[in-house]
Amino acid sequence: MAIRRGLGIGSMYYGIGYGFSRADIGSAEIEMAEDGTTTVYSGACDMGQGVMTVVTQVAAEELGIEPEQIRVVAADTGSTPDAGPTSGSRATFVQGVAVQNAAAELREQILDMASRMLECPKENLVVRHGQVCEIESGREMVSVGKVAHQLHFHGRRAAAWGWHDNTTADVDPETSQGDAYATYGWATQLAEVEVDTETGRVRLTKLVSATDAGKAINPVAVEGQIEGGATMGLGYGLYEQHILEGGIPRTNSLAFYLVPTAMDVPDIECEIVEVPDPRGPFGAKGVAEPATIPTTPAILNAIYDAIGIRITETPITPERVFFAIQEARDRGEFEED
Amino acid sequence: MKQRYVLRVNGRGMEAAAEAHESLLDVLRENLRLTGSKKGCNEAECGSCTVLLDGRPVVSCLVLVPDAADRDVVTIEALATDGVPHPIQRQMVEQGGVQCGYCTPGMIMSAYALLLDNPDPTDDEIRFAISGNICRCTGYGKIVKAVRAAAVEMKGQAGNGGAAS
Amino acid sequence: MSEDPSTETAEETRGAYSWIGKNVTKPDALEKALGATEYVGDMVVPGMLHGKILWADTPHAVIKRIDTEEAARVPGVHAVLTAADVPGSNRFGLAVLDQCALAEERVRSVGDAVALVAAEDEEAAEEAVAKIRVHKEHLRPILTYADALDPDAPKIHDGGNVFQHTTVRKGDLDKGIRESAAIVENAYHTHRMDHVPMEPEAGLAYVDPSGVLNILVGTQYPYRDRRQIAPALGLPMNKVRVIQAPIGGGFGRKDDITAEIHVGLLALKTRRPVRLVYTREESLVANTKRHPMAMNFRTGAGADGRLTFLDGDIYGDTGAGVSLGAYVIKKAGIHATGPYDVPNIRVDTYTLYTNNLTSGAMRGFGVMQAAVAHESQMDQLAHKLGMSPLEFRLKNCLKPGLASSTGQLMNEGCGIEATLRRIKDYMSARDLRFKRPEAAS
Ligand code: FES
Ligand code: FES
Repeated sequence: MAIRRGLGIGSMYYGIGYGFSRADIGSAEIEMAEDGTTTVYSGACDMGQGVMTVVTQVAAEELGIEPEQIRVVAADTGSTPDAGPTSGSRATFVQGVAVQNAAAELREQILDMASRMLECPKENLVVRHGQVCEIESGREMVSVGKVAHQLHFHGRRAAAWGWHDNTTADVDPETSQGDAYATYGWATQLAEVEVDTETGRVRLTKLVSATDAGKAINPVAVEGQIEGGATMGLGYGLYEQHILEGGIPRTNSLAFYLVPTAMDVPDIECEIVEVPDPRGPFGAKGVAEPATIPTTPAILNAIYDAIGIRITETPITPERVFFAIQEARDRGEFEED
Repeated sequence: MKQRYVLRVNGRGMEAAAEAHESLLDVLRENLRLTGSKKGCNEAECGSCTVLLDGRPVVSCLVLVPDAADRDVVTIEALATDGVPHPIQRQMVEQGGVQCGYCTPGMIMSAYALLLDNPDPTDDEIRFAISGNICRCTGYGKIVKAVRAAAVEMKGQAGNGGAAS
Repeated sequence: MSEDPSTETAEETRGAYSWIGKNVTKPDALEKALGATEYVGDMVVPGMLHGKILWADTPHAVIKRIDTEEAARVPGVHAVLTAADVPGSNRFGLAVLDQCALAEERVRSVGDAVALVAAEDEEAAEEAVAKIRVHKEHLRPILTYADALDPDAPKIHDGGNVFQHTTVRKGDLDKGIRESAAIVENAYHTHRMDHVPMEPEAGLAYVDPSGVLNILVGTQYPYRDRRQIAPALGLPMNKVRVIQAPIGGGFGRKDDITAEIHVGLLALKTRRPVRLVYTREESLVANTKRHPMAMNFRTGAGADGRLTFLDGDIYGDTGAGVSLGAYVIKKAGIHATGPYDVPNIRVDTYTLYTNNLTSGAMRGFGVMQAAVAHESQMDQLAHKLGMSPLEFRLKNCLKPGLASSTGQLMNEGCGIEATLRRIKDYMSARDLRFKRPEAAS
């Protein structure tokens, strides 16, 4: 057999959000109806990765109500405020804080009214699971729905607006010195590969991804981002390439442009690391891009570990590895079995 | 020239006027408004249009309508019964196998076909069965987990059903 | 035990969370699993027409004339539009307005749209597109980094083919070189990648009775879409409403304009709802891609195993439009060190126009490419010094109190060491070892 195994690691840091003095904002409106059900008008696009879920969890936590009581209306210039794009791994980090701000203000409105209704100092009250409770005894005093009803009845707001500005100054134009980003994402991955020295074919047989989520607001969603990101990284490293000839794409079909399938992807082990960042909601940072960046470098380093050859060009196709082995052989530098 | 074709879709006879070169996918989506089957490529490469044809999974973008006439077509829309999601559907949700959702119906149909055939598949068998379905979001791990969990759940249901009757 | 600094969490100050850290089910997942979610391509509204695009078939040309009469005569066709029919600026672009919704006098890449058709059905639209005649004069295409850097080459845009040059300067490079016991130098090349969102680009537009142009689109940012659509089509911004439809993947591609302006223009001109759905081939050819980059890196480390300097150049092919390319490549430059403490730095980046496909935002945004280079350099230095790649990284990684390549002081959120230690623990728990270098394993 001409299979050799190797291990490699790749690390990265990634400035989260926009940087370069580009507007990096989040905003949301939150409104409680007379039965306690709550709507968050959130400008952030959910791509399926779970921004809506993060918005729901942040609002539920901050407000003290149940996620089931919350509905999110998302990303429509006709009904939601501008929350910036869902890109740059920024949605949780930036929009999460805007939602938290809005929910905190609404909670104060509720506690103010509850304190009047119950004739009890506000400091002694807290909202938990949709009920205004007495802190000391934990006793449930009144539901948030009843309080919201009273607010409406008295012509008061049961609605709040949250804004968060994460815009950073641009770096110096000559030296690029300066605080480029509000925060950074961090990740290290370990790849195990098998290299077939006869064909040049490389297989990723194991991947461990240690990704710093700050605080994983929804661990399954974070794992989903990590596994999907690493798979895209694997595609970048080994399979996918847009080939242009004279400016014209030859890879104009998925028959030629190869995306990894379930057979190409090993089990990905997610190690969620949590180094909280006080500027994110509950310490959270974005993970979308940190999850995808280290994979190809880890594979490149694992290939070197396996066969002692440094590949410097991507994607790492069988031809490229095969010829690199041939050249090393010609130079008498290839370690034969 | 459009012709009338009789299709048996999700157990019901349906008529569609289509040209002979039209695909089953287009007829499902456009004539019958069953848009659960997605068109990710229209060239038999992505699996997002997967349906069952006489119990076998096929990419419906590659099946011409005349070839589907008088055969049993099952689409994603038929998997839930009386509003109760199929175990694969529920497990996909619970295990985090759904992100953008565009691959999801085709993925579920491939998995459904697998479990009809092989109620107790290994992870490798699951991966093989869904290898014609591209998912760009999830990295497949949670989908494999969902199918495995659904298989366990379905065996349990079959077992209980047997004991009760 | 590991020295993982990640053990304290905000939980300790706030008490136990009710919902943070819990696997709350995504609210949209079940409807997707049932096949009930309607993406734009699944939507049908009464009176809806189908849009289709004529793309350029050559990367660089001057357009002399476009004949649309024959196309307009195809039964069922409601509109055949070229740049001359666009009521607004016809321009868009995320860094500068260098892209045309419909090509004017020039074609700059095969991703350029030249004409649009709206028809009763897809077949009529396709037939009409095939009947549009574009008379053009071919120009020499600029396809390589060297072409783009050649000051005598034809200019793709007025300002020349080097759109942006950025510089990272820190410390004293010569001192760093002098202090190095090991130096590694390499040229890295990364390739063009497609996002391949499983849902090809699509949009549905209609003008409502109040005169507002509504656009449903799988987008990553409706407000910025509106900022771009309105001037391109000559509308006040509050007469454009952009609604994010369920989106079948974006990954940065749909951060930019995709179908919005085209489908909006067709709806404005026909006063009918119009749906425009790309084929997979169109999706692979049009809109933005991941930047190919050429990176020359020289990196050093001292005998003590500490990094001494980075000296590098990064060339990025942004294609015929900048899109977000200027930021992508600038970001690659300031991330070129990787997550390490490097005291002396010179990095130059160049954002280059070519007649290749436009490159823009894609998951990883320049750092994907930079990491290929910096991580390969790190392993080679470790091997030269006889150190384990993991220990070498642990020794050099950023920590609270150290400064990044831009001089930014790292604070308590700096997590690289924790991720490295997690991998180290993982490896030692399973007795996994690198084969190289032998001395360090
Ligand atoms: S649409 Fe049928 S396989 Fe892609
Ligand atoms: S969930 Fe997006 S493609 Fe699978």
